[in-house]
Amino acid sequence: MSSAEAVAPAPRRRGVNPPVILLVGSVALYVSVALATGQPMMLHLDGIVGLLQRMVGLGLVAIGQTFAILVGSIDLSVANLISVAAVLASYIMQGRPDMMAPAVAAVLAISAIVGAINGALISRLEVNPLIATLGVGLFLQGILSASFTNFAGSVPKEFQAVAYGTFGAAPYSVIGLFVLAFLAWLLLRATKFGAHLYAVGGNSEGARLAGIRTDRVMIGAHTLCSLCAGLTGLYLASRLRSGAPWVGRDGVYDLESIAVVVIGGTLLAGGRGGVWGTLAGVLLFAVLDASFNMLGVSAYPKLVLRGLIVIAAVAVYTVRSKELTA
Amino acid sequence: MESGSLALEMVGITKSFPAIRALDDVTFACAKGEVHALCGENGAGKSTLMKILAGAYQPDSGRILLDGRAVAFSHPAAARKAGISVIHQELSLLPHRSVAENVFLGVEPTRYGVLDRARMRVDSQRLLRRLGSSISPHAEAGRLSIAQQQVVEIAKALAFDARILVMDEPTAALDGAEASRLLDLVKRLSAEGVTLVYVSHRMPEIQAVADRVTVLKDGRAVMTAPIGEAPTSRLVRAMVGRDLADFYPSRAAKPPGAPALTIRSACNHRLANIDLVVRSGEIVGVAGLEGCGKTELGRAIAGDEPFESGTMEIAGAIVAPRHPRAALAAGVGRLSEDRKREALLMQQSLRDNATLIQRAFAPSFGVPTAAPMGVEETDERLRRLDVRAANFEQEARQLSGGNQQKVIVARLLARDPAVLVFAEPTRGVDVAAKAAIYRIMRDFADRGRGILMISSDLPEIVGVSDRILIMREGRVAGELPGGANEEAIMAIAVGHEESAGATLQ
Amino acid sequence: MTLALKAYAHRPALARRINLAVVVFLAFYLVIGFLQPAYLEPAGIMNFLRRAAPLAILAAGQVFVLVSGGFDLSVGSLVTLTVIGGSMLTANDPSNTRWAILALYGIGLAVGLINGAVVAYLRTPSIIATLGALLAINGVAMTWCGGSPRGYLPENFRMFGRFVFHDVPFVKIFPVAILVLAVVAALAWWGLHGTVFGRRVFAVGDNPRAAQLAGVRVDLTRIGVFVISALAAVTAGILLGGFGGVSVDVGAGLELQAIAACVVGGVQLMGGRGTVVGAIAGALIMTALFTLLILLGWPQPLKDTAQGLILIIAVAFGAWRRRRAG
Repeated sequence: MSSAEAVAPAPRRRGVNPPVILLVGSVALYVSVALATGQPMMLHLDGIVGLLQRMVGLGLVAIGQTFAILVGSIDLSVANLISVAAVLASYIMQGRPDMMAPAVAAVLAISAIVGAINGALISRLEVNPLIATLGVGLFLQGILSASFTNFAGSVPKEFQAVAYGTFGAAPYSVIGLFVLAFLAWLLLRATKFGAHLYAVGGNSEGARLAGIRTDRVMIGAHTLCSLCAGLTGLYLASRLRSGAPWVGRDGVYDLESIAVVVIGGTLLAGGRGGVWGTLAGVLLFAVLDASFNMLGVSAYPKLVLRGLIVIAAVAVYTVRSKELTA
Repeated sequence: MESGSLALEMVGITKSFPAIRALDDVTFACAKGEVHALCGENGAGKSTLMKILAGAYQPDSGRILLDGRAVAFSHPAAARKAGISVIHQELSLLPHRSVAENVFLGVEPTRYGVLDRARMRVDSQRLLRRLGSSISPHAEAGRLSIAQQQVVEIAKALAFDARILVMDEPTAALDGAEASRLLDLVKRLSAEGVTLVYVSHRMPEIQAVADRVTVLKDGRAVMTAPIGEAPTSRLVRAMVGRDLADFYPSRAAKPPGAPALTIRSACNHRLANIDLVVRSGEIVGVAGLEGCGKTELGRAIAGDEPFESGTMEIAGAIVAPRHPRAALAAGVGRLSEDRKREALLMQQSLRDNATLIQRAFAPSFGVPTAAPMGVEETDERLRRLDVRAANFEQEARQLSGGNQQKVIVARLLARDPAVLVFAEPTRGVDVAAKAAIYRIMRDFADRGRGILMISSDLPEIVGVSDRILIMREGRVAGELPGGANEEAIMAIAVGHEESAGATLQ
Repeated sequence: MTLALKAYAHRPALARRINLAVVVFLAFYLVIGFLQPAYLEPAGIMNFLRRAAPLAILAAGQVFVLVSGGFDLSVGSLVTLTVIGGSMLTANDPSNTRWAILALYGIGLAVGLINGAVVAYLRTPSIIATLGALLAINGVAMTWCGGSPRGYLPENFRMFGRFVFHDVPFVKIFPVAILVLAVVAALAWWGLHGTVFGRRVFAVGDNPRAAQLAGVRVDLTRIGVFVISALAAVTAGILLGGFGGVSVDVGAGLELQAIAACVVGGVQLMGGRGTVVGAIAGALIMTALFTLLILLGWPQPLKDTAQGLILIIAVAFGAWRRRRAG
């Protein structure tokens, strides 16, 4: 037994650090901007709740995107699926409370099917994930835009509670986001499926040789991702009181969800990362948005800053890497 | 060892791919608890046969029987369930996951549907102890050394009570001490009733540990015999149809000339006080155990993880290469030990592979096939190195390991460097190509160049080097003349200079 | 027919891939010609090529980035910036056109340098880097024109996209745009297949570590490909400025269309394999597809759907062929 064999336990999962840093950094940023611009009311409960509410839309879809990226894939169809979900929900509901349940069921079912198709294209037909999900997204968008050109149907008041209702001071939507995050975390950490997800993302051939059915894992991950996109669509329908074919595209949900996942410490190549990091990334974006507003930065320069920050936030990790990234 | 029914029988296995017939009516059988060695040149079919056993490929025809019962595996999961575990040459650990998570990959224990992490920790620790290792189950697999990763792979294979364990070149990345520990482990497992298939090129190991041996040649099983009836010479002859005698080239014809490479007091974070000289015309072998720094020495000379202090001279001129491009410009070339990751452009043609370094230095807007990168000159170089390929426009990934290695050598020779560093030159290379590579090295040295050959293969070090340096813990620990015996080398490598009677530094 | 296909299958893979894309394009075009014979006349062909030119130019630039193993998602927004910037810089004064175009190429050069530097030195994956660039450049474009772009460009600017030589022998009309395309195509072909630099691009895409150890300046090569892609985008933007009015979404989605065109033309997304002819043929196929849909009376949005389908089919086909070859 050589001394080289005894290895001190490596620090537990470096993925813990990025979320914590992001969290602390975001809070610090928010607080300092609020104070600096003389808007301390932003630090009151209302302001904080408003901030958290800003996180819900992106947060829901980003949790799903985390699954896709962890498994070594990516999902560019989420924005279009969100649009489909929002329009479908609002169209089926037609403002009638008794149609809420069927609408939700239909949306979730369609989302799951789309996710399964994505996963199957990638794992069974071996189509590159970028192309597969891009293609599926375009396919959906085309059919949606050809069928609907404007807001379709409407959402009953009861359903609007999803976006506007509160439990005391806490909005249902925010609670829902954190519950979803917790469930996602549980799935990744404590189930066999979660362990297999990391395995396929880390070394898919090694996972296959270890007996894992990589195609099922891929399909499962994408199904979860698309379900989250469906939930996001439902949320948006509730918030906008109706659904239109451009809600997904307008929110740039595909690109931004990828950005926050990577910023949160999940490797673009998969195999390492997690949900809390993603939420921390979403928080950062929400804080930035709020800070820009407080600083009076107008809409267009905000876009520029957003883009630069996406690059900077990821570069912070990657600059130390010795790999020759492409 | 001799038991009633055979633990494993593969009968009449045939498998073809679009380009070639990989296996032709191969029959291969092992008794329970037997250590059965499988050897053959690269391309002989060993890998394909084992992949079929592991359920990764399906045979075109033939049967597999476990304990007399016919089985068919459509997916590696099925093979695993049947108790077959394969440790491949390419380690398949998940770098970002812990040792425990890796050990139980695919067979994670659960309690009420939830992952039982406590049991994973305890059981993996027990397995590692059984293998004589004290690696922590919490360690991140990517941070372990290759030897440690190998141990984790074995633990992984045992994690679900494998009945049949296939090890593909298990000692390829291990040093002497670790390799002999592994062989002990193999014997122990065999005594416990595990059937082992030991795929290897290394004759001494096969002789030491195998009960029976099968030789594959060109997709056919040409010989199966108990090890007692299969001395190395007979095995090599069965593998290549040639005698062992002219395997290693003769030593240098002339005495060495002026120094081609001189290093004085060079250090970096892994190496300390390196002093060495390679003269033109010599092949200097560098031996040492895993972690001794010999690989890092090669990298430092080639500018990859450069020296931080000290001096280096190439053919008398002082150089200080801080990155690979500078080293190449200064006249140093390095053949990496990991050609797949560090040298080969798998999807590009052989010609493109062979002209890469030239194109790195040629003017950007120039014609890519202008002299000296021309098609004729390149083809001539490839032919002179005896690269076997259907045509030179083929993609590099279609070649065997030995031929790939020759293409990289062709690339390195193109700018006529003064010094070549060869790191593990015959790793993953079949016997015939090995001899060819040794001849190439000797030839290159005879033309007045210096070669530094870094190798974990002691017979190779002994057979090829004109002089032997032995490293230990980041320093040059000793020097021996060419042809010194392996025990003397090992003694210095381990730190028992007294019993070696060798030159000390 | 099957015999011809069988004989076809035995040709060397690379030649097969180029020719296949060209063959598919011709097949599409013949169908178009069957539905609308005007397309088979010289004027019809010229007009078709004129309309296809911007996408083909974008694809000819994108292929460099793809072969090097990366992605350039910023080209669409760069097209938008070119058109908007063009209108702002020229301020409807034709004497400004010359230096405005120069300035636009300068901007393109800067964008390419920055993209390349971020990927090469900050080690940020190009998906993220160019995604951030996309957001930032869109923001710059919007900020520049204050959200409402000026409606027109001077005639001599629009000339590149619009102008057509009349009474030309054989082809009757000859659009300037085709001339531009021809020049770009020739330059691109020479750059990728006829220079040492081009071989380095393939090497870097195939195995960047091996390229580095062999002495290739991987960083400069990466910067080079992004500069090329950006300059192609500016060129495409100048042509598109001639086609229609100035608007904020002239470039929207073009980056994905360019990538799709390359993929359909046989360019491999993981790098190391691809041809300029294939990229351009892919762009022609996409344009032919869109034309076909219009002729068949499909609603505009379904163009997305068709694009999605052909993308998936093209890549699945490529993957299937690769698997068969072992």
